[in-house]
Amino acid sequence: MVKISRYILILIGILVAAVAIPKLYWTIFEKVPVTTTIFYSCTLNDFLILGSEKTGPGGRIDPKGNKYNTAEYEKNMPLMFFRQLMTDGKMPDSINGVKMEPSYINRSNSFFKYTPKKLMAPVPTLYPLIESQSGRVALTMPEDYFRIAGRMEFIVAKTNKTDEEKSVLFTKALTEKGFVFPAGIIAGMPTTKKTKDEGYFVTDSQGSLFHIKMKKSQPYVAKIETPENFGIEYIECVDLKTSEYYCFLITKSNGVYVVMDEVYDLQRFPVENFDPYTQSLKINCDIFNKCATVIGDNWLKATAMDDSYNVIKTYEESWTGKYDRADGKILASLIPFQISLSSPDTEFVSFYFFKSPGYFWIISNLLMTCLAAFIIIRKDRKLKDNIIDLLFTAITGVYGCIAIFIFPNRFK
Amino acid sequence: MKSIYYKEWIKIKRVFSASLVLGILALSFIFIKVRHDILFSDAAGYWYSFLFRGSPYYTLLRFLPLVTGLGIAIAQYFPETVDKRIKLTFHLPVRENEILIRMHFFGAASLTALFVLFYTIFITGSSIFFPSDIIVPALISITPWFLGGLATYFMVALILLEPVLLYRVLFGIVGAGFVSFFSLRAGIGGYKPILITLSALTILVSVVILFSGYRFRKGEM
Repeated sequence: MVKISRYILILIGILVAAVAIPKLYWTIFEKVPVTTTIFYSCTLNDFLILGSEKTGPGGRIDPKGNKYNTAEYEKNMPLMFFRQLMTDGKMPDSINGVKMEPSYINRSNSFFKYTPKKLMAPVPTLYPLIESQSGRVALTMPEDYFRIAGRMEFIVAKTNKTDEEKSVLFTKALTEKGFVFPAGIIAGMPTTKKTKDEGYFVTDSQGSLFHIKMKKSQPYVAKIETPENFGIEYIECVDLKTSEYYCFLITKSNGVYVVMDEVYDLQRFPVENFDPYTQSLKINCDIFNKCATVIGDNWLKATAMDDSYNVIKTYEESWTGKYDRADGKILASLIPFQISLSSPDTEFVSFYFFKSPGYFWIISNLLMTCLAAFIIIRKDRKLKDNIIDLLFTAITGVYGCIAIFIFPNRFK
Repeated sequence: MKSIYYKEWIKIKRVFSASLVLGILALSFIFIKVRHDILFSDAAGYWYSFLFRGSPYYTLLRFLPLVTGLGIAIAQYFPETVDKRIKLTFHLPVRENEILIRMHFFGAASLTALFVLFYTIFITGSSIFFPSDIIVPALISITPWFLGGLATYFMVALILLEPVLLYRVLFGIVGAGFVSFFSLRAGIGGYKPILITLSALTILVSVVILFSGYRFRKGEM
């Protein structure tokens, strides 16, 4: 039992070292990466790239290699910098034959950003259902919250008790539309800071998609037709001033869709093989174009579309990955793996294991094992009594070597 | 064996009672404040802060289990290290590890009893004001703190019984790193995937005191 207690301590030591040593290394040695952002210019009819390995941080370039200073960049992104251009008197009266009105530009501009953290995060199971047609100018928060488990249930916050009447009313409305309890995903905008309320987009236990809201205290439920085996993974509602679509849908088959306002038609974005678990997505929209950028570990792919979602241009770029840089290569050759309790792709705490790329760490592990054997012999101890310690070191390298000497072996 | 438990109780009774009072005061304050805030603002807004702004009502509990675990471990094991009194215990005519295991069991059981009581009060108080949709994520968030309290007790006991100062420091570094896993900043309910692993690790470290006990007996200098 005493021997086991030592091995437990060694395991704890390895775990702590595998978390702390890489974290300390990155804190000291990590080089600031260049963050690349990409937009589509309606005047150049081409992409404009902000910050890349070619230009360095803050540099602006187009795919042909032409460089742009701040004034040129703003001039070629008139729908993004229209306020500055108007202040400077440089805003054109019309672009592509369309008259430039600030309110029109502002209404048409929108930005959507998805990161894997949005999908892999704890989500509430209670939501406020705001009255969509109260007749009041401002939206107000209700006094109750709903959940959709065995039925749709409203709980009054003040009393912490169920509002039976309202619960029965909404449950009946959902059942009549073919909703199969419990709910899967519940997505909405639980805030009053929006132009109008559109309630929630909810999947049921069969994966069917429903639109639920409250109009004049009465339930409004609509079933949205989706292709068979659609497999919705993630829904995010948006509040567009143009009321073009209600929400984004990301499916198991890696498709990105929007649900069009009022008609509930599904419009697929021409973004292929998007993996919501590892990749980010940015969508910029303006009067003329939509630009969707998928961002992976060390690459991005931008797709520019016209207003009818037809692809007009694509652009791909990659940059040196974290473990292709000198700082990453050095660490990967010193340690066999690292463990982190957080991940850039999730909000959940867990032990995230990351094996070092390449095989140089095997040499490091062998060296550490030799060092451990040398120290054991120097201390007049027999190698055969320390076989398991040497195995720990051979597998976990520097972590094991540290752990076996912090918790020294005195057993024969 | 009863006398062993009695001896341990004498050592920890003050810290145990202080922890009990501190815990009950903290929990009372939490729910008095929840009641006050709900009365003076509004219940729906209070729920909203928890659900969508990630403002928990129980942050006061964050370091309570850690302090309790630390206090009981010091009360129980520090006196044993003064003039190396634990050596007397090791010379009693019973199996070498049995007394140490029983001492440790008593401390861990006392701590667990305190934590179970705190948990019960927390669940009871929460259920007055909140539905299960708020209580369950709240429990997911506070559970690692309580597991961390137990882990602190086990690691501090290991450190205090260690006879060599250098190794005490080294064990302390590993222990601090390990205990920090239990109270990282995370969103409400963010610890869900790791709770079982942390529970298993806490159970595993419950026996590590045997290592220090062994080193003490073998007269490590």
